[in-house]
Order: sequence, then structure tokens, then C-alpha cells
Amino acid sequence: MDFNFFRKKYRPRAGSPDYWRDYLACFGHAYGRRSPLDEVRFVVFDTEATGLDIRKGHLLSLGAVSVSGWQISLEDSLELYIRQDYAPVEAAIAVHGILPGGRQGSLSEEEAVIRFLAYCRHAVLVGHHIDFDAGLINKSLYKMTGGKLLNKRLDTAALALRLAGPGQVRQQGAFSLDNLCRQYHIPMSDRHTAAGDAFITAILFLKLLARLEKRGVRTLGRLL
Amino acid sequence: MENTIPHRVCDFLKGFPPFNLLSRDVLLGIAGRVVVRYCRPEEAIFRQGDAPGSYFYVVREGAVKLFREEDGETILVDQCDEGGLFGLRPLLAGGPYALTARASEEALLYAVRVDSFREVMETDPGAAFYLASSFAASAGERYRGRKGSLFPEKDKLAANQFPLLEVLSLERSKEPVTCPPGLPVREAAGIMAAREVGSIIIVDEHFAPLGIATDKDLRNKVATGLVGLHEPVEAIMSSPVISVPPDITVAGVQIEMVRRRISHLCITEDGTDGSKVLGVLSEHDLMVMQGNNPAILVREVRRCRDAEGLRELRERSEELLKKYLYQEVSISFISTFMTEVNDEIIRRAVQLGEAEMEAEGRLKPQAAYCWLALGSGGRGEQLLRTDQDSALIFENVPEEDKERTRAYFLALAGKVTQMLHRAGFEYCPGDMMASNPSWCLSLDEWKKQFSGWIFEPAPKAVMMCTVFFDFRPVFGLEPLSELLSRHIFDAIQEQSVFLNFLARDAIQNPPPLTFFRNFVVESSGEHKNEFDIKSRAMMPLADAARVLILNAGIAGVNNTFRRFEKLAELEPANGDLYEQAADAYELLMRYRALQGLKNQGPGRYFSPSELTRMERLNLRNSFQPIKSLQSLLRTRFQLSFLGG
Repeated sequence: MDFNFFRKKYRPRAGSPDYWRDYLACFGHAYGRRSPLDEVRFVVFDTEATGLDIRKGHLLSLGAVSVSGWQISLEDSLELYIRQDYAPVEAAIAVHGILPGGRQGSLSEEEAVIRFLAYCRHAVLVGHHIDFDAGLINKSLYKMTGGKLLNKRLDTAALALRLAGPGQVRQQGAFSLDNLCRQYHIPMSDRHTAAGDAFITAILFLKLLARLEKRGVRTLGRLL
Repeated sequence: MENTIPHRVCDFLKGFPPFNLLSRDVLLGIAGRVVVRYCRPEEAIFRQGDAPGSYFYVVREGAVKLFREEDGETILVDQCDEGGLFGLRPLLAGGPYALTARASEEALLYAVRVDSFREVMETDPGAAFYLASSFAASAGERYRGRKGSLFPEKDKLAANQFPLLEVLSLERSKEPVTCPPGLPVREAAGIMAAREVGSIIIVDEHFAPLGIATDKDLRNKVATGLVGLHEPVEAIMSSPVISVPPDITVAGVQIEMVRRRISHLCITEDGTDGSKVLGVLSEHDLMVMQGNNPAILVREVRRCRDAEGLRELRERSEELLKKYLYQEVSISFISTFMTEVNDEIIRRAVQLGEAEMEAEGRLKPQAAYCWLALGSGGRGEQLLRTDQDSALIFENVPEEDKERTRAYFLALAGKVTQMLHRAGFEYCPGDMMASNPSWCLSLDEWKKQFSGWIFEPAPKAVMMCTVFFDFRPVFGLEPLSELLSRHIFDAIQEQSVFLNFLARDAIQNPPPLTFFRNFVVESSGEHKNEFDIKSRAMMPLADAARVLILNAGIAGVNNTFRRFEKLAELEPANGDLYEQAADAYELLMRYRALQGLKNQGPGRYFSPSELTRMERLNLRNSFQPIKSLQSLLRTRFQLSFLGG
């Protein structure tokens, strides 16, 4: 367990909005390096955006499930669709099948990020190539609060890399979600919705976790 | 596009029963509350004896094995692959897990909340029935090997812990209202009024029941002035009181009431009227405890006015049959109940037939008669509406009256068989029915007929015997049937070689399994590639039981599994074999009834591929005693000397 009460980055600045204060307060005692894996709440999430470049892209949807004690409770999942008024059409839209312009979304980007913060609290965030998804959220968050996500992060691609044999590492695209799903026998129905991908990633995460556990990884510290 | 994940879970679940029976909306509601559980290889999902939580499981990926642990041994009971459902029974039945579930490889499970599912079961008969039949199918697991059952206390479990059932134990019976025999009627009635009960138990100084006085007694005996208000209550009581032990089930009470045609039972400490009264049960109490009930059903049959009514009641009793099979109520109870219903339907059909004859102005002859059930009906094993087999014995009459008498009974039997046909009982394809002049005979004619079969056992005669020897009186003058039985036993005694012929016939049924332990299926005809459970598995057992019980000289035990039970009692040396055979027969009856209900037919043929692995295993086990019994017959009746 880490005690973060006195560390500066966990202290809200004067005038911070309530949601941000609440979020920071969650880190009063966040998971530490010694936390056993069974006791950690992981939030596995995925986003879809208007582009593949963090600087230009905007959130279109966000899906998340939480994993704890080797279980995914569907009641405790998040699926958000975001209204984007402008339409910088890019290749990503063709891939994801989500059109900008508010047809799907009803939330503003800000509202979506607020709900995401309330959902994750201090959980360990997990995603496939998580830097992209976390980066998108951080971009919004910075505009809103001047802060960024404080959660510990895990990348399923990196976990898979730890388990991979030398042959696989050299292979082109070996750690794409598609390829890993194939390797770990995870059916890929309706891929490319944020929630669907988050669910698939969560299952992948569980399978990777079990294999790492077998190699002696039992605490969060060994995983990060 | 919301709810992506539940939709995905839904897409998977809808491929498997009972979820495939549910509407998308309902299923989506269930899927939204699913918990996905990851299991490492060899991880225990739950352990035998654990208290169940609120989830049952469907295998999404991987495989789960179910074990029973007993005396340090671990017995594999079942395996669930993708789509397989497990862990539901304890949630519905209460009580701890009876098995341990272990992932045999990496597995993903969908844990479904039982409360979201329970609502569905209550509103969706299809899903409820699927569970019914799958539970009942797993009754096969009860099949006992040589010693000890796979589920030692399963019967008790099914009987006592299933909250949906009629087989609840009657622990909570009302505190009895009692009075001494000398109490004046008026005061006894005062007690009844004050306690708001319809009956009072008259007890001796040790609180053992002497008799019972009910509202009806007050109406019939006191209000009419037959007995004075100041006379002691014992003057109006009915005595003795039928007593039952406190651990009797509702079903047991029903049977007792139907059989004895009484409406009150007394619960006493040891089930006799020599011990202390613990409570009293009325038919009304039972009705309150449960909706559809055998006693009521049988009584409604008695009041039925036409074939359509009989049909409807028989259909209702089939609903009950489903329920019982589902609840794994013992076959012995189920067959007693269904036989009671069938008999009552036949009785009612005969009564209605007689009334019709009278309405047509046909005079009833002086001769008494007895309506017999034959075949499976005669053995009291007819769970489904298979075909009718019947015969009629009428009293010996002077030669000149005989044909007139027969003509009347033939016409009556014609009406009865027609009525039963309309009630859903198919005509017997071999025309073994009382409406056939060959099977509507006077007592002497019947004696001659049986003597003929016994003294000249041609193959066809032996075949007839297998149907006719299991006769049982259903309506009319029962001593006619008893006289015929006695005649048959005498004849067999005289011509003991007859049993050898019967035994030879019994071992000539085709074997159920091929050399490689596959099911032997029909090679041609309408049921090509289907397994004939009746002729390949049930008849060999029924035939063996008949020969052996005739050989033992026991009359009046017609039920195949009761015959085996009786034989086990008579010949302890072969007790194990006979008990196995009795169990096997019960199991086969259960399968046949379930198949019949599933396919809306007599359940005789089904494709082995429809069975689950476990069912196949159970059925195969049930064939085991057939072989042993046939070799026992071969030795006992020295069939190797008989030739052919």
C-alpha cells in the first residue's frame, strides 16, 4: 500500500472541480508494489477516436470493464459514446464504424472523462497499447483540470511480450490485439467497438495474468 | 449500440439450452448481470459441501469436471464442455453442493445470477421444463453399482430439500386438537369451533389416537338426530384412525389418502395408532400446501363425464409426471401415482360405457365381470399413454346365455376402448383388447385358454403369455381375477417345463450393445438408426422378472422392479443382482418417460446421439444386469438342454 497523502501531485489546487478532488482523494491509499494480484481492482479499457494521432484525435467512445479476483462483473462496466460536432474524417472511422457528428454519442467529451474518472478511481488501468488511450484521456483532462491520470498502468502488449518466445518477438505485428487473440484462443466477435475491445482485452489480460502468476508473479510490483 | 458486452454474452448463451428458449430481451437482462470468471487449470470452482452462493455457471471456454468425493475416493460424475451448465441444483434445491467442480483446463465461465434466472423459470415453462428434464436425466447418476450409490442421500435430498415440490417432508403439521373419548359431543364441537378446525382426534390417556370426529360426522350423525348432543364423542368418531409417521412426505400422504379414500390422516410418533398424536392432516391442508395434486386429480377423474374430460385429466397428470420426473421423485412413487390415475380413467371409462349401454336400452346381464389391464398397464408401469392392452373375464353362465352375455360385454368393451382411445390411449396394434372376442371370455374359457398356452407352449403361445401373464384387475369383481391366477399357478405347478419355455423366450431378446459397446440401433424401417429401449433393454428385464417370480410362486406382484425387490428378499444369494436389476429398470423407465415426453410419443425409440455422454454411460451401466440375469436363467432352467 502506498501512502500518498502528502505528495504534491495528489493534492488538488485551489479551484479544482469536485470530480477532480474526488478522484485525487481516491489515491489516499492506492495499491502498492506489494499488493497481491487477487486483491487489486484492474480497469481494462479501450477508446475509439477520430484519428490515430493523439494530438489531433478526439474521443468517440470509451468502454471499460473491471477485473478483480479473476472475475469480470458485467454489471460493473462502462460504455460511453461521445458527441463530436466537427468531423475530421480519417481512416480510423472506417475502421471503427463510428461516425462523428453525434449520431451515436450523447455525452460531451468532458462528461465522458468525468464518468471515466469516477469509474476507475484508483484502480490499476489496463489496456492494449494503453499509452494511446490514456494519452487521449490525458489530453482532455489537462484541458479540464491541468492534471492527468494518476493510476498505475499496464499494457497487455507489454505483458504478452514478457511471455513471448524469441521467435515471436521478431515477428511483425505479433503483439497486435488480433494476433494475441488468435494465439490465446479468444473469439473476436464485434471487434472495434470500445466496449467489445475492452472485454476482449480483459480476457486476454486474465490469461496473461495466469501465465505470469505461474512464473511467480504474485504482486502488483512484479507485474508493473 | 449500448450494451455491447451483454449482447456478446447473449450471442453465446442463446446457442445453448435453456437459454435458447428465452426471448432476446429476457436473455439480455440475464447477460447484463453475468460475471465472467477465469479459472486456472485444476482450480476448484466450488467444493462438495460448500454452501452455494448466488451464481450458477455456464462454460464459455475450456472444460469443467464434476467430482463426488466419498470415503477418500474421487469419482468423476460429469464433465461440462462449452455451453454446459452446472452448479444450479443446490441453488434451487437448497443445501450444500453435492459435487466438487474443477476446471480441467484453463476455463472461462459465465456465472449467472440465480435470482435473475429464477424469475424466468417461473414465467417461462419452456426453460423450466428444460431444467426439469435435465435434472431428471441426471437421475441416471443415481444408478447404483454393486454397492453404495453415487449419491448416497440423493433420494432424501430430492425428497426433502426441493422447495418447489410436493415431496416436502411434513415437518410442520398443525398442533393436534384432541379430546378424551367420554367428552360429550357438544363440548367436543365447542373445542372444534374455538380452535377453528374441521376435525378432532379422540385420544386415550397416553395421547394415542382412538378415533377422529370431523365436521362431516357432526353433520351426518348429530345434526340428523342420530346421536344426541350429550352422548360421548366416541359415538360419532371414525375408528381406527389411519396413522402415518412424521417423516412422511406430502406425496406419501396423498397416496395414502387416495388409496384409502379418506380425507384425514393422523401423524403419530411411530406411525402407528399406538403412539402419541403429533398432528393431523386433512386433504384441505394438502391442497393449501400445493396446487396440482394427485388426490384431487384422481377424484376429478371419478367425476368426469366424457372422454374429453378424461383426456384433459390425463394430460394434467402428465404435467405432474413431468414435474415428478424433474424432481427425481422415485419411480416407485411415480408409477404408483400414474397407475392410480390410469386405473381410475379406465374405471371411469367402464362406468361411462355401462351408462351408455343402459341409455341404449341394453340390459346388463346377471353375470359379474372383471376388467383386466395387461402388459405394462398390468404391471403398473405405464407412465406414458402407450397403447391399451386389456381383457375381460365374465362369470361362468349357462351355455345358452353365454353368447348373449358375451355380446353385451363385447359391446361394452368396444365403447370403453373407444373412449380410452379418445382419451389418448392408442389402440393395441395386436388387438389385445377386451373388445376382441378372443379376449372377452368367461372364467372357464380363460382357464382353458391359459391351460392351452401352458400345456402346449408353442412360440406364439409363449409370446402371448408375456402379455397376458401380467394381468391385473382394474374394475369389477376382483375374485374372478384371483381365481384365474390360482388356476394358472396350479397349471404351472403341474407343467413345470412351461417355465423353461418362458425362460428361453426371456433370453432371446436382442442384445442392447454391440461387441464394441456401442448401442445396437435398428438397421431398417421407420426407426432406422434408433435405439429401441423397450425391446432391447426393458423387455429382457421384465421377462426375466416374470419367469423368476412365477417360478417362486408369487402372485400379486406385477411391477418389474417390485418383482426384483421381492426376488432379492427371497433369494439373498442373488440379492445384489436383483437389486441392480430393479435399479436398472427404474432408470430405464425414467429414460423412456423422459424421451417420450420430449418427443411427444411413447419414448420407445430414440437416437443414441441425442444422449449426453453421461446418459450413455448410465444406460450402458443399466444393461449390465441383463447379461447376468440371462445367464442365471440359462443355468436355472437348464436352457442349454432345451435346444433352439
